[in-house]
Amino acid sequence: MKNGIRWVGYGLALAAVAFSVMLATRFGRDPGLVESPLIGKPAPGFELPTLDGGGPVSLADLRGQIVVVNFFASWCLECRLEHADLVASSDNFGPSGVRFVQINYQERPQDSSAWLDEAGRSQHTLYLHDPGSRTAIAYGVFGIPETFFIDPDGTVVGKIIGEADALTIGATIDAIRHGETPGQTVTGNTQQRPDS
Amino acid sequence: MSERARNLVYIALIVALAATVAVLIAGNPTEEDRVARLGGSIMCPVCQGEAIADSPSDMARDMMDLIEERVAQGATDRQIIDELTAAYGQNILLDPPVSGPTLVLWLAPAGALLAGVGVIAWWRRHPGAPEGSPSAPSSRTRTAVGALILIGSLAAVLVAVTSYLQERDDTTSGLADVQVDDLDEVSNETLEAVIAANQEHPQISGMRLALADRYREEGDYRAAFPHYFAVVESETSAAPEKVAALAGLAWITWDGNGELDTALGLLDRALEIQPGSVPVRFLEGRILHCAGRSDQSERVLEDLLAEPTLPSDWEDAVTSELAAVEAREACA
Repeated sequence: MKNGIRWVGYGLALAAVAFSVMLATRFGRDPGLVESPLIGKPAPGFELPTLDGGGPVSLADLRGQIVVVNFFASWCLECRLEHADLVASSDNFGPSGVRFVQINYQERPQDSSAWLDEAGRSQHTLYLHDPGSRTAIAYGVFGIPETFFIDPDGTVVGKIIGEADALTIGATIDAIRHGETPGQTVTGNTQQRPDS
Repeated sequence: MSERARNLVYIALIVALAATVAVLIAGNPTEEDRVARLGGSIMCPVCQGEAIADSPSDMARDMMDLIEERVAQGATDRQIIDELTAAYGQNILLDPPVSGPTLVLWLAPAGALLAGVGVIAWWRRHPGAPEGSPSAPSSRTRTAVGALILIGSLAAVLVAVTSYLQERDDTTSGLADVQVDDLDEVSNETLEAVIAANQEHPQISGMRLALADRYREEGDYRAAFPHYFAVVESETSAAPEKVAALAGLAWITWDGNGELDTALGLLDRALEIQPGSVPVRFLEGRILHCAGRSDQSERVLEDLLAEPTLPSDWEDAVTSELAAVEAREACA
């Protein structure tokens, strides 16, 4: 009995050490890479003006389509790198019930708009402004680019963290069309505003 | 009154006093108090382990505004916390929740205390079996277990201290006095830390530019891009700094992403700030050369060479580039 209790003591001490090591090694991990709690949940609604001051555009109005919500800014290199693929994907899937929505993040609408004038737009994509980052906060954005996929019932079923390429976007949309929940994919880095 | 009764009265008085003070401190918090307290409990998602109430980042300010708005609308603390954790997860809380897997974090100290008290009580009642008796672990086993615990503890402390020092190195503001002339001796990581700690400094653009140039030369365009961008956008950047940053952006936009029109647009912006700038026009000729637009490149470089005021060191570079364009050689 005595021996048993003593070994329980040793076990507790070892557990404490293991716990400390676990805590210590968790320092410095990127919290932005954790699985989004939104996946499988109803997508947060939004009603936002377009970049040129038109609108507002509401997520509720897009119900019944697959909606791809991308957060971007002109100061983000990954956003520039993925832009051509987003435009091509929107042109490709737009006519068949997939609506791309690009929401600017931490940037004045005129700056986002000026860059899009240079980089090009898809006629099927809605380009929206997010005053006060309310929609970015509702979607739990840690850095950009982040791209969310919402199924026709309004549930968040997928997310791409980092540069979204046409192949990944297409594969995610195909999976949603087959009734699957693609979940979260990390393709690369995200960025913060340089002065944040 | 007996001594026991007197002691009870003293204890009752102390408890009543403590309760009064606690009620005075905690009672009727203002809306500002609630916003500050909630802001202090939410981690800034774009910073390293900093509360949104303490962070100067735009994202943290937007989150504080949201909390302020919700408090004004009459939301409870729980509703506000739930709204943020629904989007970011429990990791956004600086204090882990008293439920689920993190419950163990809250119970651990009490558990350790109870275990300690239990062990002491047990030792007092059972003053150790003599060495060598059948129930006592051998001294070799004890030594082995003791050594294991010691090594484990040292490893944990070492890892924790290393991680702590690395984080401090990333975020310290104690490096603010690094001078611009020391740049050659300063690592990229240190420069990043200095810039992060001095974002409001009017002369920070020079340091950003130096770091961005360094990243560009290393081929790390992703790292260079946000710094060039910040120099262009900053109201405190000097005109030559903006021109240099626009030129840097133009090169990486072309070389990294093949966006010729964007690159030329950036160079036009640079020329608006500094009309006739030789380095910008040279870069324009070079990018056009690399893009296979030899005729346009030739025109730009010939115009540049015809300038009577062209410095001699630039003359050599322009002549050499023009010769390569005329020979239809690929750009180097």
